[in-house]
Amino acid sequence: MSNQAISTLEPVPDFAVLAAGLQDEFRALIAQYEDSRSALLPIIHRFQEAEGYVSPQAMQVSAELLNLPLAVVESTVSFYTLFFRKPVGKYMLQVCRNLSCALNGAEEIMAQFRERLGVGHLETTDDGLFSYEEVECLAACDKAPCMQVNLDFVYHLTPDLVDALLAGIRNGTYTDTPPLPQRAKPERSWHVAQDTGKKAAGALGVSNPNAPGGIGDASGRAALQRIVDDTAVGARTHERLVREGQAGTLHPGKDAHERH
Amino acid sequence: MSAIKPVLTKGIGELNLRDLEVYRSEGGYVQFERALKELTPAAVLDMTTRSGLRGRGGAGFPTGKKWSFLPNDGRPRYMVCNCDEAEPGTFKDHMLLEETPHQVLEGILLGAYGIGSHHAFIYIRGEFRRGYEIFRAALDQARAAGYVGSNLFGTGYDLELTIHRGAGAYICGEETALLNSLEGKRGEPRLKPPFPALQGLYQMPTVVNNVETLASLPHILRNGPEWFAQVGPERSPGYKIVSISGHVKRPGNYEVALGTSMRTLIDECAGGMRDGRKFMAVQPGGASSACLFEEHLDLSYDFDTIAKAGSMIGSGAMVVFDDTTDFVKAAHAVVRFFAHESCGQCTPCREGGNWISRTLTRILDGRGVPSDIEVLKSAGHQMTGLNLCALGDSVEPFLASVLHRFEDQFRAYVTAPQAAVA
Repeated sequence: MSNQAISTLEPVPDFAVLAAGLQDEFRALIAQYEDSRSALLPIIHRFQEAEGYVSPQAMQVSAELLNLPLAVVESTVSFYTLFFRKPVGKYMLQVCRNLSCALNGAEEIMAQFRERLGVGHLETTDDGLFSYEEVECLAACDKAPCMQVNLDFVYHLTPDLVDALLAGIRNGTYTDTPPLPQRAKPERSWHVAQDTGKKAAGALGVSNPNAPGGIGDASGRAALQRIVDDTAVGARTHERLVREGQAGTLHPGKDAHERH
Repeated sequence: MSAIKPVLTKGIGELNLRDLEVYRSEGGYVQFERALKELTPAAVLDMTTRSGLRGRGGAGFPTGKKWSFLPNDGRPRYMVCNCDEAEPGTFKDHMLLEETPHQVLEGILLGAYGIGSHHAFIYIRGEFRRGYEIFRAALDQARAAGYVGSNLFGTGYDLELTIHRGAGAYICGEETALLNSLEGKRGEPRLKPPFPALQGLYQMPTVVNNVETLASLPHILRNGPEWFAQVGPERSPGYKIVSISGHVKRPGNYEVALGTSMRTLIDECAGGMRDGRKFMAVQPGGASSACLFEEHLDLSYDFDTIAKAGSMIGSGAMVVFDDTTDFVKAAHAVVRFFAHESCGQCTPCREGGNWISRTLTRILDGRGVPSDIEVLKSAGHQMTGLNLCALGDSVEPFLASVLHRFEDQFRAYVTAPQAAVA
């Protein structure tokens, strides 16, 4: 491939070999679609499989291959939570925090993981072995609480199973899930925590709401109150629903809110 | 128990239906071959319409009608199977994909033929890596057996199938977001109209159908549309897999005739409540649906009855709550989910979900104030109807229903605040 592209990235010999070796696969992926851009997700998946994360070089090469601006590739990759833009641990632990798991003890399981690993949501252990994330519903609610280890499901989590799993990975006896390849040093915090509402502290894994800008912060409350006081919004919604003949048909308790 | 003969779930847990030969020994691919050799696409469409089949992905739109919207203008058409199952509480497509991949595959092929498409896609949720591998193996088998490719059965009909993996985004289950993701873009819903039937994938006429919807097609062709139409209520006919989870003894997928009562589903299928516990509420259609209560349990579980009661059956996910449930925490889990999964295009959804989620966080942390209850009552409602897609509208139903019913639980948090955590 051409190295003449405008790029501020330093060449990575390893990476050049990797990318060159994948060219045939990429061509086959592109050929599956009427429009080459459709191959972006499959190509990124393939890079992540090989590198353990989506490196800046991978995005650069994808952009050149599909003739897309690099910014478009970065924007697209950043949309999807399963694409890691920073190196992660060898074992990505993703524990479900949604309703059916929560009803079956997920809060305790998550607290145990945080305590045993010494890291919080979206963080990596110092030894680079584990990254930990609390995720939304994994569609295995009948086997709650559940999680994925490098996308392999682990069902019916119990405190004992959590300890056995971590011990097994640490001492090399847990072999159900192959480790992610490690081509760069994982960072302790591997992901920019965009949603500060779900970071650390407290049994529920949430931020301090009284922090500046939080909803408990006086200025935040005032802002919300202004929105709530803007009765015009509620009235417009209602008018529209009435016009479309939908008012009051879908949601119980709606009438109680029609005081606006 | 009102036992029915399993249709979509037949053989699951007993046979290795991942194997082509096993699936064939159960009558697999006979209908696809018959359709190609003996039926026109119009005949397949007609049978689908007459069966009364309604979409199993959440909206319940009549499948035949959806197909009939495609314009007859000579442009290529696409059939897209939506296997981006991520509605909290739903786990039926996950099972169908892993346990009966050939049934899903035959359904996609029949659907594609029914709309006259020569290129079909299946969009598989990124988390379902195992399901993807299983389906890919099934596709390889089917291709080798001549069910996918060109000039199928010597009829001259070409049909290609491409597997496309998602990468973690609930919103890609929304059909236009899915199409954007399939085109290599951010999974953001499109402004509608135009609907996918006119301008879908690559701006071409496109149908997006749920896994279970398409998997029903081989059975409808085998047994005839009348067989399907006579099961269950007139306007919600057919068989449906209901995913039951939460505080029941035997959570799992249960295939029933639509119209079975929720009481039967909970007590007989799922084994009833955990020992010594009392039923408090049920979410009949996943996280987007409003809770129903004891007085609703004898209602027929079908699209129209549950809608009339003020909720929806959605994708068929019942989450059952007993008397140990903290509904403030439950509401927080649901609202936080939608806040997290908002694609961010529409302000009411992007900002509103986060505001409500953080309000609930604060209440749970013991820092709530009584006026927060009023905020919760009004904020969700003000997000509804203002967004490009239904995600923003999904914040209100569950929150409003449990707030209405269990307001005392919410009040208890704000009137007797726990000591603030340092």
